Amino acid sequence: MNSFWRIFSLEFTAAVRSRTLALLLVASVAWMFAAPFMFTGDGTVEGARMLAVHYSLGGVATLLSISLLATATGSIARERAAKRLQMTMVRPVGYMTIALAKTAALVAIGAIVLAVATAIEAVRSDLSRPCRHVLSPVMPTPREEAETMYTAYMKDPKTPPAVKSAKKSVVIRLLAQRAFDRYETVSAGDEAQWRFRLPEEGGMIKPSVRLRFTNTYDIRQDVVGDLGLTVYGAEWNGCVSNITQAVVEVPLQRSDAALAAESGVLTFANSGESALMLRPRRDVNLLIEADGFGWNLMRAYIELVCMISLLVAFGVFLGVGLGRPVALFTAVVALAVSEMSPSVIDQYPDVLETNAADAIGLAITRTAAELTHPVSALEPLAKLSEDSCVEPREVLGAFISDIVIAPVLFALLSALVMPRKVEG
Amino acid sequence: MNGEPVVSLKGVRKTFRDFWLRPTVNAVDGLDLAVARGEVFGLLGPNGSGKSTTIKMILGLLAPTAGEVSMFGLSPRSLAARARLGYLPELSYLHPFLTARETLMYYAGLCGLPHAESARRTAQLLQMVKLDEVANRPVGGFSKGMARRVALASALIGKPELLVLDEPTSGLDPVSTKEVKTLVRALANGGMTVLMTSHLLADAEDVCDRIMILNRGRSVAEGKVSELGESLEDFFLAKVGNADEFVLADFLA
Repeated sequence: MNSFWRIFSLEFTAAVRSRTLALLLVASVAWMFAAPFMFTGDGTVEGARMLAVHYSLGGVATLLSISLLATATGSIARERAAKRLQMTMVRPVGYMTIALAKTAALVAIGAIVLAVATAIEAVRSDLSRPCRHVLSPVMPTPREEAETMYTAYMKDPKTPPAVKSAKKSVVIRLLAQRAFDRYETVSAGDEAQWRFRLPEEGGMIKPSVRLRFTNTYDIRQDVVGDLGLTVYGAEWNGCVSNITQAVVEVPLQRSDAALAAESGVLTFANSGESALMLRPRRDVNLLIEADGFGWNLMRAYIELVCMISLLVAFGVFLGVGLGRPVALFTAVVALAVSEMSPSVIDQYPDVLETNAADAIGLAITRTAAELTHPVSALEPLAKLSEDSCVEPREVLGAFISDIVIAPVLFALLSALVMPRKVEG
Repeated sequence: MNGEPVVSLKGVRKTFRDFWLRPTVNAVDGLDLAVARGEVFGLLGPNGSGKSTTIKMILGLLAPTAGEVSMFGLSPRSLAARARLGYLPELSYLHPFLTARETLMYYAGLCGLPHAESARRTAQLLQMVKLDEVANRPVGGFSKGMARRVALASALIGKPELLVLDEPTSGLDPVSTKEVKTLVRALANGGMTVLMTSHLLADAEDVCDRIMILNRGRSVAEGKVSELGESLEDFFLAKVGNADEFVLADFLA
């Protein structure tokens, strides 16, 4: 443990004395104050919040991702090139300890800079403003739904021959995407129902329902209807009328009405004159008040530190296995692929996988998107910007995977590669 | 030789390969070597003779292609073996932003010394290498000789049983060279085993108990310095080539 702290402290001291830490701090603080002036809001409270959280703090997170990834690729590669690494390797220190300590030091630098940026955000925010748990309807996963649809779909004469000759996994993926985006139509005078997994009885604080009545062209439409949610023997109601916004948020009030359905079932009765369409997996949410913005900001901070840890561990590993320029180039490419892969996948659906090159390219892009999703999405900030709760279980998951498992795994690989690479 | 050797190489071969794993050069070829406890052993040879490769295999920085390398009867890459090792490389390779004191404290920590013991050893060694007055200056600003002395002190910080010195007097002035040679002898008299390489035959002659001369990866001579019967320079030239072969006139013509 002594060796770990010595290497940690060496790496940290290097960052302080080379002014890397100071530079990152100045750039981050400047960005936190400048960003709100650089982006124009839409005049709404939500817009201002989006600017404050997503662009200011998100900008700092992006800056740290890029700069610390670049620093991480050099932390061992540079030491090896200057022959200082071998001076550490001839001491009684495990190779894994070297990689872990260097990773930890760079994560600590990221955590400090991010803490300052988060503190600035905290000072200018209303920390007591409540955030909401966002619950989605309980439904089979898109993949489960796709698997039940598969046989019927393949027998359907309207199914294109190219799809019929495609591999099952490709068709399932296509159907799963279709299931995820499946629209449900609520005809005029009709009623739709969705089931939710409710929290404990005492946890139902100020519930509301968020409905996104959108179609692929985002045409707004008038919505008139009644909402009812049965919660542990009580009925909660809400009313929607003449609202022309695409996203409708309806607070539910407890009423003394008789029980209409089993607990956890939300009903929406369309009393308007036209049919309404929505995608239940995306467009129907039950919102329940959770703890304040301050706590959620803190959890978002932890999740972002986890993301930095994942990136740094990856960068350090690249630096162990490759020379500095190649490691840096690989890291930049990986980051670019991570950022671009979701839109590439959107634009090239499976049906276009008609040749081997496309199929291989998409498979690589899809794997990259899945592996790097936490980095490209900046999910905690997206949630914070819409006052959604950054759930503690997600933070715990990110902590276990990005701060515990990933660095240890990369350090283990580094320990295997390090002596071979020193050998040249 | 009494007891188990501190360093032992048996039939060691090292072949470097290119990117396509094709062998490029046999740096060390069938080397047998044993260094006994408490002796000062010199590894001599011309450039490219395999000295550095041999040292790196002993340090565990290179794996032999064939044969067996052991330190204290252990694999050189084992933590237990590395805990008993001190190493001074040919160039100092210091962290330029650390002070001399921080450098020694860093390596003391890596050797597992407790903080108080590290501080005590650091002060002692800084005084020994006469750097106590500049102990708080970053080593990046040190002269080559001062950096060399910091590197020597950091090699000794963990109280090693085996000290590997690669060109220990390189970059030192005559007074410091003399001091290093005196130090090496004193350490050996105190029971420390020293394995050193040097281009300066006079250094080896003054300090070493036994030497091995390497040429093209093979041992061409091994023995006690006291039993050579002639100057080490004559002996060396007889084994690895004659200086007369280098005709200055041809070069200048």
